[in-house]
Parts: sequence; C-alpha cells; structure tokens
Amino acid sequence: MAALTATRLVFDAAATLAIVFASVMVIHRHPVKSVLALVVSFFALSIAYVLLSAPLIAAVQVIVYAGAILVLFLFVLMLLNVPEEARHGSGRPIHRILSAAAILVFAVFLLSLLRSHGATASPAVGASAGGGADVAAAARLLFSEHLLSFEALSVLLLAALVGAFALARPETQR
Amino acid sequence: MIAGGIPLGDVLLASGALFVIGLVGALLRRNAISIFLSIELMMNAANLTVLGYAASLQNLEGQVVVFFVIAIAAAEAAVGLAIFIALFRHTETIDVNRINLLKW
Repeated sequence: MAALTATRLVFDAAATLAIVFASVMVIHRHPVKSVLALVVSFFALSIAYVLLSAPLIAAVQVIVYAGAILVLFLFVLMLLNVPEEARHGSGRPIHRILSAAAILVFAVFLLSLLRSHGATASPAVGASAGGGADVAAAARLLFSEHLLSFEALSVLLLAALVGAFALARPETQR
Repeated sequence: MIAGGIPLGDVLLASGALFVIGLVGALLRRNAISIFLSIELMMNAANLTVLGYAASLQNLEGQVVVFFVIAIAAAEAAVGLAIFIALFRHTETIDVNRINLLKW
C-alpha cells in the first residue's frame, strides 16, 4: 500500500469531487444544472492537473474549458430554451445494456487494480522542478518542436469559426 | 509513484471512473446537448490519463498533446453547438429520440 502523503490526499479529494459532480451532471435532468455541475467537475480536475505537475494545462482547463466552452454551452441552452428531459423512456434497451456493460468492465478493472495494488509498484520518480520551470519547459517544447502543429491549430480554429458561422446562420439569408 | 507521492493507480482509477460516467451519460441521456457534455467529460478523462503518464514518465510531450486536445475540443464544441442550433431551427427539438431522419 502506497504511503498517504498530503499531495495524494489532495489529489484523491479533487478526483472524488470531480467524479461526484460528473455523476450529478449525468443524473440531473435539467441541462443547465448539468452544465453547472460539469463546471465544478472541471475545476476539480484542474486541481488534479496542478498536482500532476501540469500547471499550464490546469490554467488552460479553467480558462478554455470551464470558462469558454461550458459558457458557450450555457449560452446555447438558454438560446434554445431546452426543456427538462422526460422522466421515463430514457434510453433504448441496447443503450441500457451497453451502459451496464461499461460499468461492469470498470468494476473488473477496479477489482484487478485493487488486487495488484502493492504487488506491482508504479515506477517511482522524484519530484519534478517547480511549477514555473515546468511551464517554461512546456512552452519551449510547444514553440520549438511543435510550432507547426501550433500554427495549424490556429488555422483549424479559424475554420471552425467560419464553419460554425455558416452552420448557425438562418437559411433565409442564403 | 508520481511526484509528491500520487500513485499512478489513483490517476488511472479516477480517469476510468470519469470515462465510464461519461459513457453512461452519452448512452442514457436523450438530450443532444447533454450527450455532447458527456462526450466532453470522456475527453477530459482521457486527458487525465495522458497527464498521469506524462507525470509518471517525466515527459512534457504529454502536456503538449493535452494542450492540442483542449484546443481541438474548443473547435469541436463551436461546430457541434452550431449544428444543434441549425437542427433546432429545422426540427424545433434536440431530443435525439425525435430526430430520426437518417435512422433506418
């Protein structure tokens, strides 16, 4: 059994929070409340990212995911005035069978992980350098080796912008 | 053991749980936007796995990959929501049970 360090405790707490609010997201029938639960879940995930020595990704997670993408969802939900889902008739039988199978596979995974706990120690690595150094190193990698992909990404976002505009435009204007 | 004493097993467990929750949501929800949210959750579970291994192997490439995934998720969300708006304008609903034009 691995030692319980403070970092591990915080990570487990953040992961539990993320899982709980993800469940709330799935269970809740009102779409707006689902989105708000997912915002909390993504904030908890960004705490987990900080502890995995990825502060840059944690910041991007909060700014882009929780800040931009989910707010976009909220805007669309309020624009469309989506009603609450009906209580019955959730899912065809095949969907229920498949989700039961997914939960079963996860349970098997959980059991095998619990059984092999301690037997196979994960590779032990020392603590990485401070957060600032991590960000600088990740940024250097992003802007040197992956510069072309980074620039291609800006073209992709532009294409998505044009595509979204073309799709959401009323048909009468064409 | 990752930096600070987080075992890789914890990371994989959390990410597996999030992925399964997202999968169940994508299968059982009937509202197209809720299904889309579940897919976003599954993508985040995959990101968590990548970051866990990146921290475990002390390799920064994982962070770069996750950065690209998040940017692509932003593009995907913009186009997907535009499709939902167009769909809603066309059919007055985004309940996937009632959108059956392409169903055989």
